Amino acid sequence: MAYESVKVETPLLLRILPVASVVLFFAVWQAIVDFGVVPNTMLASPTQVAVLFWEKLFVADPDGAVLSVHAWVSIQEAFTGFFLSLAIGIPLGLMMGWFSVAEGLARPIFELIRPIPPVAWIPLTIFWFGIGIPGKVFIIWLSGIVPCVINSYVGVRMTSPTLIQMARTYGATDWEIFKKICIPSALPMVFGAMTISQAYCWTTLVGAEYLAADQGLGYLITMGRRLASPPMVVLGMICVGLTGVAIGILIERVEKKLLAGIRR
Amino acid sequence: MDDTSKASGGRKTKIQVKNLTRSFGDLTVLNDISFNVAEGEFLSIVGPTGCGKTTFLNCLSKLLPTTKGNILIDGEEANPTKHNISFVFQEPTCMPWRTVRENVAYGMETKKFPKEKLEERLKYILDLVGLSDTANLYPNQVSASMEQRIAVARAFAVDPDLLLMDEPYGQLDVKLRYYLEDELVRLWKTLNSTVVFVTHNIEEAVYVAERILILSNKPTKIKAEVLVDLPRPRSLIDPKFVEIRKQVTELIRWW
Repeated sequence: MAYESVKVETPLLLRILPVASVVLFFAVWQAIVDFGVVPNTMLASPTQVAVLFWEKLFVADPDGAVLSVHAWVSIQEAFTGFFLSLAIGIPLGLMMGWFSVAEGLARPIFELIRPIPPVAWIPLTIFWFGIGIPGKVFIIWLSGIVPCVINSYVGVRMTSPTLIQMARTYGATDWEIFKKICIPSALPMVFGAMTISQAYCWTTLVGAEYLAADQGLGYLITMGRRLASPPMVVLGMICVGLTGVAIGILIERVEKKLLAGIRR
Repeated sequence: MDDTSKASGGRKTKIQVKNLTRSFGDLTVLNDISFNVAEGEFLSIVGPTGCGKTTFLNCLSKLLPTTKGNILIDGEEANPTKHNISFVFQEPTCMPWRTVRENVAYGMETKKFPKEKLEERLKYILDLVGLSDTANLYPNQVSASMEQRIAVARAFAVDPDLLLMDEPYGQLDVKLRYYLEDELVRLWKTLNSTVVFVTHNIEEAVYVAERILILSNKPTKIKAEVLVDLPRPRSLIDPKFVEIRKQVTELIRWW
């Protein structure tokens, strides 16, 4: 084929800088703690965290579970909430964007609930579900569904009017236009929603575990505070961050694959 | 009834537009327009800027309801779900998530062509338009002119009762336009479609059409009709061609 793919080399500087910035960040952090600029009771050094990380891979004490268990519990909660918000939020948003009945029915309620921060639901959730997994999933679901609905809605709304007209001239029905024109055209926005929603879910997860949990990465942070152990707090934070990054990369991969035609 | 289509040459009347009127509030855009199009005819419509060409096409394609009057295809009220009406828009209308092949197939898909017939016709049309080599690429991997050819191929593919074109080559450079106009004429001849081609480019109209309708300013009426009975391929410097072009230009200028 006449269309070849072109390889573009990243300049050396651009490859070095990100690494340098990370190395510098940790070096400064280590120095601050080692030289006592910030006392060790307030902040743990990277090496302390690394040591604790290694220990926590095998030792359940003092917080009751090894690191992988904490992470696994958190991931389960976050993903259950995340998938539920995708499963309900995306179809709802898409329908709201195209069918005026759906918009008329759902929009007012959605706008009413949307400004309430998900963590504000925690007390009610505890009344309803107790402190187990369902309650946390509910809160995570609430936070994840907002970007799903908004992005899917906007995505459908941004469908090129000419494409819709084109479909109409061929005699396509409203449903066919929705299915074959509006949804594919909204997909980039929907995938954007997945990324944002995942971030929201993951953030809310920590909030939810803060208040009511006995396992999970958010719980690890809380325990670190109770035990006055800065390394454990920082370890919890880093694990939350790293897991979030890993999930983000995963979603980006999936998105790139599915959207080959659109973003090429 | 057939007296308006002098170019029909004994051909059957395919499209009848009867007293087509469209107003937006107090503003009458289309004022009682009537004309016929013969089966297999290539009709061009030209008019001054802002004379309501787009409104006119939107009414013909049934995208817009008419205020008064009606459009008959084979004697029946035009209906996009029943009749094959194709519309090539001024802007490219490729779906970026579909390959060239899938874009061309869209019209037939919507018209619920049986799978085998669809595949067969798709192959035929892609060959005819010269898109076979790029069939599996996505629209943003091909050039802008190619995108317009995809739309044209899609329009011809459904074997339209009526093919409407709204300045499809308005945004392309001159050289490419000649090439695509020749291609359009070739497609029209090969597939024997009925084409209504709207443009503001007089030379283009004279080059492609068998008959030209000239619209007046708003409220728009048909001001004149010009037959173009020149042999093809047409030459832009043929004295007869120049004469017709001048005639149409004068008609547009003296409203």
